[in-house]
Amino acid sequence: MSFSLNKSYKILLLLVIFIVIIGFWNPNALLDGLQRGSLYSLIALPLALVLGILGVLNLAHGEFLTVGLYFIFMLNTRFNLDPLVAIIPTVIFLLILGAIIYWLTIKRVVKEGHLSQLLLTFGISLILIETINIFWTSMARNVYTSYSYASMEIGSFRFGTYELLYILIAVLVLVGLQLFLKKTRLGQATFAVGQNPKGAKIVGINVNYVYLFVFSVAVAILGIVAGTMLPRTAIFPEVGSPFTLKSFALAAMAGMGNLNGILFAGVTLGIGEAVINSIPNYGGWSDIVFFGVLIIVIISRSYRGAR
Amino acid sequence: MKRNSILILSLVVILAFAFSLSSYAQDDPIKIGAVNPLGDITGDQSTKAMELAVKEINDKGGLLGRPVELIVVDSEFKPEKGAAAIDKLATVDEVDFFVGGMSSGVHMAQIPSLKKYKKITIWAGAASYLAEEAIGPDADWYFHLHPWDYQQGESYGIGWSDIAEAREEVEIGKVFLAYEEGGFGTASFESYEVLADQAEEGEGPYADILSDFEGGSFKSAALGGGEYRALLRRAKEFNPDLFIWAGYGADAIPLLAQSREVGFEPPLYVGAPPGWPADFEANPLSDKVVLYGMWAPALKEVSEVAEHFWDEYIKMHQERPATYFAPLGYTNIMYLAKAIEDAGTLEKEVLIESLENTEYDSPMGTTLKIAPSNVIKHQGFTRQKILQYQDGKQNVIWPFEVATAEIEYPFSW
Repeated sequence: MSFSLNKSYKILLLLVIFIVIIGFWNPNALLDGLQRGSLYSLIALPLALVLGILGVLNLAHGEFLTVGLYFIFMLNTRFNLDPLVAIIPTVIFLLILGAIIYWLTIKRVVKEGHLSQLLLTFGISLILIETINIFWTSMARNVYTSYSYASMEIGSFRFGTYELLYILIAVLVLVGLQLFLKKTRLGQATFAVGQNPKGAKIVGINVNYVYLFVFSVAVAILGIVAGTMLPRTAIFPEVGSPFTLKSFALAAMAGMGNLNGILFAGVTLGIGEAVINSIPNYGGWSDIVFFGVLIIVIISRSYRGAR
Repeated sequence: MKRNSILILSLVVILAFAFSLSSYAQDDPIKIGAVNPLGDITGDQSTKAMELAVKEINDKGGLLGRPVELIVVDSEFKPEKGAAAIDKLATVDEVDFFVGGMSSGVHMAQIPSLKKYKKITIWAGAASYLAEEAIGPDADWYFHLHPWDYQQGESYGIGWSDIAEAREEVEIGKVFLAYEEGGFGTASFESYEVLADQAEEGEGPYADILSDFEGGSFKSAALGGGEYRALLRRAKEFNPDLFIWAGYGADAIPLLAQSREVGFEPPLYVGAPPGWPADFEANPLSDKVVLYGMWAPALKEVSEVAEHFWDEYIKMHQERPATYFAPLGYTNIMYLAKAIEDAGTLEKEVLIESLENTEYDSPMGTTLKIAPSNVIKHQGFTRQKILQYQDGKQNVIWPFEVATAEIEYPFSW
């Protein structure tokens, strides 16, 4: 979990220039991209945390999000609980679910190779999807909240206000994670385990407990994402699956364990996607651009590394 | 004497054996093999409706004095599983007929097997013209119930022309189609392009009403997309009289929400997904949204068969039919049963003739009649219906003869 200040200033400067240019050219694309990119970052942060500390490639990441969405949907339909309020019980539920799944399965592959991790988490993702399918079928579902469709007008510029929440929550979660890692004893222990698990064990840190804690917290964070997302999205058994790939892409672009970089990567790719979407008849290119930018960043980083 | 006794005894044994064989043949069920995607609501409810139809037939004594047995195989919406299901039904279960199913992609994979066995097939779903071309003009054993894609496009044109004629304030001059970038949406766009070209030359169902057509693609929420605002702003600039989107159920609410967010309020807001989200009508955003479909629950108010189907389906399965594949599955079996009864035999040629002549008053609100389509000899339904969500209820607004309400116009938030 490292983050170089000099490097971050350069990235920040480039990002600001990029945002200003897009903002002048197409303010709608800028705002759409910021909102969408923040959501991508928010979902990718817990995946990057697990990847950075446990070194586990979690292919079931998106499905944990799906479970959170359906749990909130259930709380909303059964108990009329507002999705934003339902975040609290959902975080607790996912924290427990994450702990159980870690104890039953993930724990056994933490020290194994990536292939075992991929196979195991792929299996978990299939089980979660099919379980949801059994209970709720493949039909899309949604909840209605009037506040999530609100918009504002400044002159001729009209924009939705709800998704600004994505930006706020992404920043809050990132700051919260950074503060936890740097300012608390458990966080510092987590940091130490992420850097050198053997060394951490020698100095008396319970590595297994840290792994359990980090995995459970990462799954629980998805409860916050689910509660924020649900008012704006339809849910179905595979709703979270595409976010796994995007989260891996963000983690790869940001660099291993670079949590701040996740936010920059998310915003950059989100704006890139929105710009492509705003060009008539080129919307279909957004994925190509998304992964194209990713490939360029990875190649340029490996080139710099080689130098 | 002893010789005579042996002879009589032998005769009795032979007669008893022959009688037992004939009575076995009498009790031998007529086997109908169905292929449906059981994990999806369309396949699940279609199968349940088929079970209802078979139960009703057997309760009345079966067909030709024989019970009817429904053997269902899950296609899982996978082409290879769908094709294997046909082989299994033909060789292991030795069914007399094939019925089902949905998805053009799955059906395309099944067609070679269907052609191999040449059993009488009554197919409920699969709308792509590619499936029709794959079946070809010579398959006299093949009957198709769902309107083909080009027939659907035509019927909407006829429907909007009728509505525009009946209601002077309704205009359909400018049409914008937002379509998902996959095969389903792209096929919709291409068929609309053809209709728009025809209209420009003064031909086709949109000839009198369509003046300008534009389209734009989006990535469906079902495939990891869900961001439509840029496209909706484009549509808003175009200022269409009729805005239509061809995506999946998962797109319905986010599209409406984002339309409201960007201030896009076309006079007609039409959705054309294969299935709508559960309880979509309960969402306030659904009000005045127009949709295309073959059936609506409200049809029970104007059709006795539809009412009977609705009541009995709920009684048997303790759930409401939520997709038109439910009444279509019921129709699939009932139509075949009526033709068998009319024919009085299972002999293939006679039965094909009977199927050609049978008219079945279906729970879809219209009578099923067989006529040739562009390629095949035996096409069933040719028209879709135009429906509208009104105060949490799906009403039929066209065809007027089965309409349950008038169109509410214009659409507004």
